[in-house]
Amino acid sequence: MRSFAALLLKEEKAIFTSPIAYVVLSVFLIIMGYTFTVTLFVSHVPTLVHLFFQIYVLFLLTVPIITMRLVAEERRLRTIEILLTAPVSEPAVVFAKYLASLSLVVLMLVLSGAYAITLGILGQPDWGPIYSGYLGLFLLGAALVAVGLATSSLVNNQIIAALLSLSLFLLLWIIDHFGWMLPDPFDALVVNLSLLVHFTPFATGSIFLSDAGFFISVALLALFLSVRALARR
Amino acid sequence: MPDLVVVDRLVKRYGPRVAVRGVSFEIEEGEVIGLLGPNGSGKSTILRVLAGYLPPSAGNVCIAGIDVATDSLGARMQVGYVPEDAPLYDGMRVAEFLRFMAAIKGVAGRATRGAVATAVERLDLGPVLGTPIGRLSRGYRQRVAIAQALVNDPPLLILDEPTNALDAYQVIAVRALVRSLAGRRTVLVASHVLTEIERVASRVMILLDGRLLTTDAMREAGHARQFRLHVAGPAPAILAALRLIPGVIDAAPGDDAERYVVEIEPGRLQAADLARAVVGQGFGLSELVEVKPDLERVFLDLTRHASGMEANAA
Repeated sequence: MRSFAALLLKEEKAIFTSPIAYVVLSVFLIIMGYTFTVTLFVSHVPTLVHLFFQIYVLFLLTVPIITMRLVAEERRLRTIEILLTAPVSEPAVVFAKYLASLSLVVLMLVLSGAYAITLGILGQPDWGPIYSGYLGLFLLGAALVAVGLATSSLVNNQIIAALLSLSLFLLLWIIDHFGWMLPDPFDALVVNLSLLVHFTPFATGSIFLSDAGFFISVALLALFLSVRALARR
Repeated sequence: MPDLVVVDRLVKRYGPRVAVRGVSFEIEEGEVIGLLGPNGSGKSTILRVLAGYLPPSAGNVCIAGIDVATDSLGARMQVGYVPEDAPLYDGMRVAEFLRFMAAIKGVAGRATRGAVATAVERLDLGPVLGTPIGRLSRGYRQRVAIAQALVNDPPLLILDEPTNALDAYQVIAVRALVRSLAGRRTVLVASHVLTEIERVASRVMILLDGRLLTTDAMREAGHARQFRLHVAGPAPAILAALRLIPGVIDAAPGDDAERYVVEIEPGRLQAADLARAVVGQGFGLSELVEVKPDLERVFLDLTRHASGMEANAA
């Protein structure tokens, strides 16, 4: 447990001493602030649905940048040799990296909570969709970070890791469009791989166990692949 | 002394390429072992298997009785490993890095401070404790890498090419450090530089193309002890007399006049006995020096012999 705490602390420091974290946070907050203000002034409706879809897109674009260095950099610099010749297991290393990256995603969500508080002060929003939207964003972020970590574990080059994650995220974003063109039962199979299909109910105030199960399954599968990729050497 | 490391028919494959081909050896507690071989001979692969970084493809590797394949974490607790070129976290400060390594190596609570202080003192890292590792000189980086390997006081220290790219002063310092560890700890040093190995190791193993050519090159070099003598008198008579001394295997003329090289059976004859026998036969003996085993000669002989065997087989 102590060694896991040390691993987690090291990863947290690596993330929060890197300029990448602050650039990502700044860009995220500027874009969110603009969207929130414009939406509120144009529609005069106390809702965060537009904001949630915007965060969804921003997660697809920023998570690859957050996760790209996690393992790829350790492989390139060969510090992985120092790390994995210490008595720490691959799952512990992977989970520490995962939690540290997820903490940045959670921080982004917490900071965006300022918009929900503003809505609460200025009007009377329906809090149900806001809670479900944040739950959906957390689950989406958890799945995306795990996939980003898995691609970073597979390659030595950070840029390739980022491009690989980004391509995968974009494919999973639009995959339902291809799904509708397929015959039964392949259409349902492919449509169910879509991130947007599983996220939309959360953003609009409906919580389905199947949607939550999808994001959790993706996260667990990606974490398993990360451990396997790290053990392959 | 009991064996700390037992390697039995170790094989390591990278896909279709075989990097280590059935290597077996043992290392006793307290020994300083040199692993010598040309670049690409499989030295680093063997060290990485011992350090728990690479799993063996076949064979058994035990450290302090723990099998690295079945209990990798337990075996890693017994090993301090310094990889080639000292890959370290450049963004961390030296003290922070050593505390981190101590924590992940299971040094708990208050013991961490003591363990780090001991490693810092032994490696003389006091002046750079607050410096980011990325700003250190090569010599200091190497010392930090060795400090992290020693921070949990493991019984086995493994160093891969520890003097690579160091200047002369830094090489001398690393060499002195390894010598200072002899006896207190078991040390395995790999290098392609013959003089480095010769100066620090009590036993030298030679590796070529993934095969271990010898587990004790010094013994191969000196399995018959050699003496160089300076004896005045007629050469044929001196050689004949030398060959008649009990325990002498062979006697041959040396490089200069009146100099001879005598090979004796170890244990049967001492230097004083040889001197007494030569003088007793009426010859004037002015010098008798034991010739140290020549590691370079053994290395060349063994590697040429192995290469020749391979060429013949092909």
